[in-house]
Amino acid sequence: MAGKSGRTIANVPEKSLKKTLLCWEGMLVVLFILINIFCAGVSESYQFQNVLREMPKYLTEMFLLFPMAFILVLGEIDISVGATVCLAATMTCMASNNGLPFGVVILVCLLVGTACGLVNGLILTNFQELPPMIVTLGTQIVFRGIAEIALGSGGSISLTNADGFRMIAGKAGIIPYIFFVVIIMAVLFSVVLAKTTFGRSVYAIGSNRLAAYYSGIHVQTIRLIIYTVMGFMAGLAALFLTSVLYGANTTTGNGFEMDAIAMAVFGGISTSGGKGRLIGGIISGFTIICLRIGLGQINMNPQLILIILGILLILAVLLPNISSRLNVRKKA
Amino acid sequence: MKENKSILKKITDSREASLFIVLIVLCVVISLRSPSFMTLKSISDMLKNNAVIMIMTLGMLGVLLIGGIDISIASTLAFSGMSVGMLMKYSVVQNTFLLFLIAIGIGALCGLLVGLIISKGKVLPIIATMGFMYIYRGLAYIIANSQWASAENLGTFKDFALGSVLGMNNVIIVMIICYIIFFIVMKWTKIGRMVYAVGSNREAAQISGINTSNVELMVYTVMGTLAGLCGALAVSIYSSAQPNMLYGREMDVIAACVIGGVSMTGGRGSVAGALLGSLILAIIAKALPLVGIEAIAQNTVKGVIILVVIVLNVITQRMMDKNNLKGREM
Amino acid sequence: MKKKLVSILLCTAMVATLAVGCGSGNDSGSDSNTDSGSSTAASDDAGDDDADSGSEGGGSGTYAIVTKSAGNPFNEKTADGFQEVIEAAGGTAIVKHPEAATADAQVSVIQSLISQGVDSICIAANDENALQAALEEAMDAGIKVCCEDSKTNPDSRQVFVNQAGVQEIGQALMDAVLDISGGEGQWAVLSATSQAANQNAWIDAMKEVMEGDDKYSKLELVEVAYGDDEPQKSTDQTQALLAKYPDLKVICAPTTVGINAAAKVLQDEKSSVKLTGLGLPSEMAEYIGDDDDHSCPYMYLWNPIDLGRLGAYTSMALVDGTITGAEGDTFTAGDMGDYEIVAADDGGTEMILGAPFKFDASNIDEWKDVY
Repeated sequence: MAGKSGRTIANVPEKSLKKTLLCWEGMLVVLFILINIFCAGVSESYQFQNVLREMPKYLTEMFLLFPMAFILVLGEIDISVGATVCLAATMTCMASNNGLPFGVVILVCLLVGTACGLVNGLILTNFQELPPMIVTLGTQIVFRGIAEIALGSGGSISLTNADGFRMIAGKAGIIPYIFFVVIIMAVLFSVVLAKTTFGRSVYAIGSNRLAAYYSGIHVQTIRLIIYTVMGFMAGLAALFLTSVLYGANTTTGNGFEMDAIAMAVFGGISTSGGKGRLIGGIISGFTIICLRIGLGQINMNPQLILIILGILLILAVLLPNISSRLNVRKKA
Repeated sequence: MKENKSILKKITDSREASLFIVLIVLCVVISLRSPSFMTLKSISDMLKNNAVIMIMTLGMLGVLLIGGIDISIASTLAFSGMSVGMLMKYSVVQNTFLLFLIAIGIGALCGLLVGLIISKGKVLPIIATMGFMYIYRGLAYIIANSQWASAENLGTFKDFALGSVLGMNNVIIVMIICYIIFFIVMKWTKIGRMVYAVGSNREAAQISGINTSNVELMVYTVMGTLAGLCGALAVSIYSSAQPNMLYGREMDVIAACVIGGVSMTGGRGSVAGALLGSLILAIIAKALPLVGIEAIAQNTVKGVIILVVIVLNVITQRMMDKNNLKGREM
Repeated sequence: MKKKLVSILLCTAMVATLAVGCGSGNDSGSDSNTDSGSSTAASDDAGDDDADSGSEGGGSGTYAIVTKSAGNPFNEKTADGFQEVIEAAGGTAIVKHPEAATADAQVSVIQSLISQGVDSICIAANDENALQAALEEAMDAGIKVCCEDSKTNPDSRQVFVNQAGVQEIGQALMDAVLDISGGEGQWAVLSATSQAANQNAWIDAMKEVMEGDDKYSKLELVEVAYGDDEPQKSTDQTQALLAKYPDLKVICAPTTVGINAAAKVLQDEKSSVKLTGLGLPSEMAEYIGDDDDHSCPYMYLWNPIDLGRLGAYTSMALVDGTITGAEGDTFTAGDMGDYEIVAADDGGTEMILGAPFKFDASNIDEWKDVY
């Protein structure tokens, strides 16, 4: 029984452990290749430019993955991000329709998202006893509720002037801009998590919160920052989502939180905290997106796709567990 | 004087009591605005309409007590409910009792599978149940094959939710039986003690000879069983089986537990708390349309109430701790 | 250092596979993609390509229908009607359900259809506005777009196949309320969500009808309640209506889930309140009848199969150029007769399937097995 104490040891870069981690990410890369070959085999339309064209909508969820990985490494969870995206997208459309210049519209979008994240962070750091899942469930209902009130009867808003958003949704050659933003963010978040004191503190908190606290890490400040950044990224996601929707409604962003969590977990980031690397989450994110695009193109029953994703998710965690146990037995 | 104090202390010392006060305040406020709320019929309607959530809260109590979580229950419910509906629709099975057994069996199997993956495969509960949430919901859609079972297909099965014994609706009776069984099991039996032990300190429980993984397996199986039962109940109550039944409502069940003071890290919580928590949610759902809050703002109000209640919980808990400390200092 | 190297390696591997995977797609797929200057041009190519191969097969091209959600018999019947007509004409029909009943999910579906290079998309929109970017892209790629059941905004469609005019529905429901209530008294509406565009249009039309004629003057609309299309919430709302308004005479529920839940509550309580609205015959068969044992004397709906069929004929007419979706266009929809495209309230164009169909005790047995 490796309890909480076992995890701290796991973070010391030991050679054998590093190997197993590498192994998981290596497996993901192999899986990614296999899935692409499979999709290209079954679907004639699974071609480079088609995949790139379909990707922006899915990529918006990747923005949520990065900060979600931080939150999961903390050993916490945020299920309000879908609602944050909804609220931010709603406010963005309203700001844009009120004739504000596009720069201000972007600012509004990011600010609304950040504010939502800040609310989560403030509640969670002031009432540390509260489980994040329940707090973010509450704020999820409230954020979406506010969006509902703002949207009023009709529950839907369209952009009267989509010029700015058309620009965001544009492409450099055949590669959509959002792709570059995702890559930049991916590098940024990966480096922060893996290379900085801040990132190491996050792992420390996730492994053993009390020990981290006693070793002088500002646990609550770090939590507040991470939840606020989560909100900011939800705002960014809302901005790009608006550019692929040209509007918002009360169901915008529904289920994004689960998709982001699934990507992270599939990438080897543990929800019990202290474990996992962002690169795994990023590869798994692209793997899931490609699988969805490919299966979508052969018109597979959407529920069947969800079943496949569910099985993959469980296997992704189950298989390494089993193999590591077999290893232990072999050693013994 | 001294006795008075001890009673007062008892009240402020117990989480359940403070929740009970919240409940009463809620009821009073609502009846002031809507006199029809506090009638026997209205309360019986409310219990019947929320029975499904209230029963599943019990299972979730067990799961949360050992520090786990199960977000697949609404999907399990849809799967078992849809199975029952389809069996009726194509006239394979017509016997109400048998159908309930089948639904419970399906639920138990679903729960068992979840439990096996979590306890033997060492997969984290949230991940395993998230996977099964997709899988069972997908299965519900696949067996439904784009058909719904409607009132007409359900023949005598829907009469179960209409019938009553001694003036009490069958559904409510089932719910009360579930609560009584859980109350006894959690409070006075070895099994209940084991669940609390595993939740409070797993390693200690393990060392003291409890097979923790079996307790885990049992808890998830019980959760699945209850979800299966609720699948049949839901079909009977609403005379309709649709594959998207109770979509997303697992969160209500978890919220009910947490409002009732059940800790999400395990070891703390009681059947009484679960009952009060789910009652508070039921009352909110029942009262929002009655007191005439704008439909468009109802979700916001619901969310705010949930947040306020859990924050109040924390504050009372802190005050209790402070008082205890004071007592010790003196 | 080593770690960095590994991550760089991983990234390159990822990009490489994307290229390789897609490269092999090029090999196995068509050869139309040598030019990758702009994606629209490319998918346009793909579209033409598909159409060509279709015509070689002797029939017409590929027609897609996108429903609101999976697992719903109404949507399924619409899709069946669509498929039947397309396949009879020798084309290929693609039925796509989104993974959830949201506009987000439909965007992915539309994107996927653009990649597949279909000739037309017939869609029941989950949201009026949020599909605009995706549908505009589809139209830019040369795909014809029409809506059925619930429309998108005029910018993102060529024509809307309306199941029944909003005015007609409002009139029919209002007359039903008048008739069932006996000419006077309180009545209430049980709707889906307060944001459902369809629902709100019908409720507004009913209000207009009520104000427009003196014969409705003794009717009092006491409340519009929202059950969110959830059985549990609809039940709560119905019970709340009964508790709040003891003199209530009629509830009108223009939504299939709502009417079902309300019918169940009223019938179980043997309430004197009666019900009408829009509902599925198969779901409502148990509750329709003239006597006191049944809660719903009669209700309305359109025929989803015909709706799908008209959607199919419209898609084909748009693709072969018989119509462009402009006002005044006419075409013959097979054995369904001639249809004319008229201006819609929102500034776009639409065609109307027909008047809503009345289901009562005399014909419910005949229809309950159909849909």
